[in-house]
Amino acid sequence: MITIEQRAEFRKHFRNNISIRLAADKMIKGIVLGCVVIAIIPLGSILLEVVRNGVPALSIVFFTQEPGAIGSDQPGGIGPAIQGTLMLIGMSSLIGVPVGVLGGIFLSEFGNNRLGHMIRFFNDVLAEFPTIVIGLFAFIMIVLTFGYFSILAGTFALSIIMLPIITRTTEEALKLVPVTYREAGYALGVKRWIVITKILLTSAKSGLITGIMLAVARIGGETAPLIFTILGSDQFFSGFDQPMDALPLRIWRLSLLPYDTATAQGWGAALVLILIVLSLNIGVRYIFMRKHGGGGRFRIKAGG
Amino acid sequence: MTRLIDPHLQKLSFLMEKMGALSVQSINSALDSYLEGKNVRSEAHKLAQEILGLYDEVGDLTFDMILRYQPVASDFRLIRSCIEVSYGFTRFGRYAYDITAVRDMFGDITECKNQVIYTLSGEIKHMISMAVQCFATLDLEKARQLKTDEDLVDRYYNKHLPMLINSDNVKCALADALVLRYLERIADHASFMGESVNYIVTGQRRYR
Amino acid sequence: METVTKTPIKHTSVEEPRYKLIAENIVASYNGIVAVKNVSMKFKDKAVTALIGPSGCGKTTFLRTLNRMHELTKSAKVEGRVLLDGDDLYSSGEDAIIHRRKIGMVFQKPNPFPTMSIYDNVAAGLKLNGVKNKDVMDQIVKGCLEMVYLWDEVKHDLKKPGMSLSGGQQQRLCIARALAIQPEVLLMDEPASALDPIATQKIEEMMTELKKEYTIIIVTHNMQQAVRVSDYTGFMYLGDLVEFGETKQIFENPRNEITAKYVQGQFG
Repeated sequence: MITIEQRAEFRKHFRNNISIRLAADKMIKGIVLGCVVIAIIPLGSILLEVVRNGVPALSIVFFTQEPGAIGSDQPGGIGPAIQGTLMLIGMSSLIGVPVGVLGGIFLSEFGNNRLGHMIRFFNDVLAEFPTIVIGLFAFIMIVLTFGYFSILAGTFALSIIMLPIITRTTEEALKLVPVTYREAGYALGVKRWIVITKILLTSAKSGLITGIMLAVARIGGETAPLIFTILGSDQFFSGFDQPMDALPLRIWRLSLLPYDTATAQGWGAALVLILIVLSLNIGVRYIFMRKHGGGGRFRIKAGG
Repeated sequence: MTRLIDPHLQKLSFLMEKMGALSVQSINSALDSYLEGKNVRSEAHKLAQEILGLYDEVGDLTFDMILRYQPVASDFRLIRSCIEVSYGFTRFGRYAYDITAVRDMFGDITECKNQVIYTLSGEIKHMISMAVQCFATLDLEKARQLKTDEDLVDRYYNKHLPMLINSDNVKCALADALVLRYLERIADHASFMGESVNYIVTGQRRYR
Repeated sequence: METVTKTPIKHTSVEEPRYKLIAENIVASYNGIVAVKNVSMKFKDKAVTALIGPSGCGKTTFLRTLNRMHELTKSAKVEGRVLLDGDDLYSSGEDAIIHRRKIGMVFQKPNPFPTMSIYDNVAAGLKLNGVKNKDVMDQIVKGCLEMVYLWDEVKHDLKKPGMSLSGGQQQRLCIARALAIQPEVLLMDEPASALDPIATQKIEEMMTELKKEYTIIIVTHNMQQAVRVSDYTGFMYLGDLVEFGETKQIFENPRNEITAKYVQGQFG
């Protein structure tokens, strides 16, 4: 038994460097905060630049009209590009989201074997693939086969890009749901598929949505694959066998032109793209998370 | 909210009620028969045995409750007091039997005047029934009353017992002495019951 | 191994146990919701004080204000004073940290550091406080493991990982770790609730030994445990201290009606 006198004796061996430790604490906090600020500066400055340069170009005409003749005093707008981006995002999600989520479910629930490891490996490899190569692949598979540039090729390419991101984030989100919830479901005699859809997916909702939104933001900004697949156009959507426009393409083309109006329009298009992705994010979250006051308790932070 | 211990507490109070009723019955019949000169020793014996049987049951039940439910606060005080009070009831049964045994052993005692016994027996019967009621309703007033009554009985006892020394009839004097003694003890136990009730309600023990 | 200290002289007179820890007017809240409403308590030295009460009554929150753990939670606020040997823990500045070393805490779920051996677990607090002398460290580790009745079970292999022990042993290891930094007061938050009955028994025996030299404050759901180990008991309900007194009095003859109802299981 260590008596009170012995305790006092032992305490003499403790170093009484409280002030040094407090100072070190403050210093480390300062350094960490500094690093965060440094990391945010580029983001902040980009946003500032885009907003500063893009706002003057915004107008109803800008949003709704087709581009006019280059260099003329009727520059028109980027209506087709906006339409194109929205259509591409929508159609790619139609393919990418279900396949990705199902893939994620497979990996999380049934993937603890060699097949699962293999799929996970290839999934990760696909996620790191250069998107221009994917665009080329789509060019060969769709454009050359069918003989024309089209939205289908674009959708094909973008959904391939989307897929691995959604698979990976879905798997991570599902893994965060504790085993106890699965066990509770099984103990009730519930079929496995019902456990997955009614219990796991709803618990991991927040994480799933984060993952999907990440993927959407990614494909919203991809330019390289679009070059080989939808080619670009000055008109609104005119058919599934016609080339079309999209915001990243338009931004690229506009910013390369030597005219001031064109550059201004480019900034405006960039701002519009950022706004679209942002509002999709907020809108989807609002719709899906409102019902359960926060959906899942198990959130993965952006970055998977 | 019914707790697990509640049905057992109900059973306990039922047993105590029965014991109380039997005690009152046996004391009343013993005293009445004594004063009337009747011999009811065997009936008194039966009642005393019945009370003892109930006492064993109460003992088993209270220990079972303590082991299983580890009661605290007023539950605990109630259960603990039931053990003491049920013993008091067995004493009532026993003294009732002893009084009838006097009549049986001494034979015909009709010549004895029994004046003292007569006065005291009314008081004792009243005390017993009050003690049983006091325990049934946990009435502190009655508990206080029991204490004063017991003091009264004590004083009466201390006054009249020495007077028997000068009595001319040995048989009567002895019979009176024995019965007086039993009556005084009955009063003591009745007042102990009052003290138990005081403990259950207030948690304080009054020192004797 | 030479001892560093002399054996203390036995006092011939009986000391009046003084109040080691005094909590005055503690008000603790989370996010604006008040969990502890103006509670004051005095804890005697060399005694075990138990805090009982239904779930959500504020007893764990109150316990955590005693060693300034409560304010680590987001949006948590504390008002009031906690005096350890007369010095206020809540006076700001570096003194508070030294005083915090004098109060150890043990939690409900045993949580030994997973990557460390048994020896390293117990010595963790010592190393962080700058103890370099290996002899002193060995002494302290042995003394603490002996106090929690673990020494004989692990002395043959102190390098074994801490997680290889059973649940009850892990909890005792955590107690030894808390004792290693030489606290004066030990706070225990339901220390035996995750353990089997035999392990619980060992912990309770240990508490009865430890209280000879420490002040112990334990929060418990198990009323029989409070009756078995504690000298004083405080009953809390909805953030208020309803009754405080000697354990025997609280459980045999509680003065407050709510206390009587709670200890007899009429609500929980």
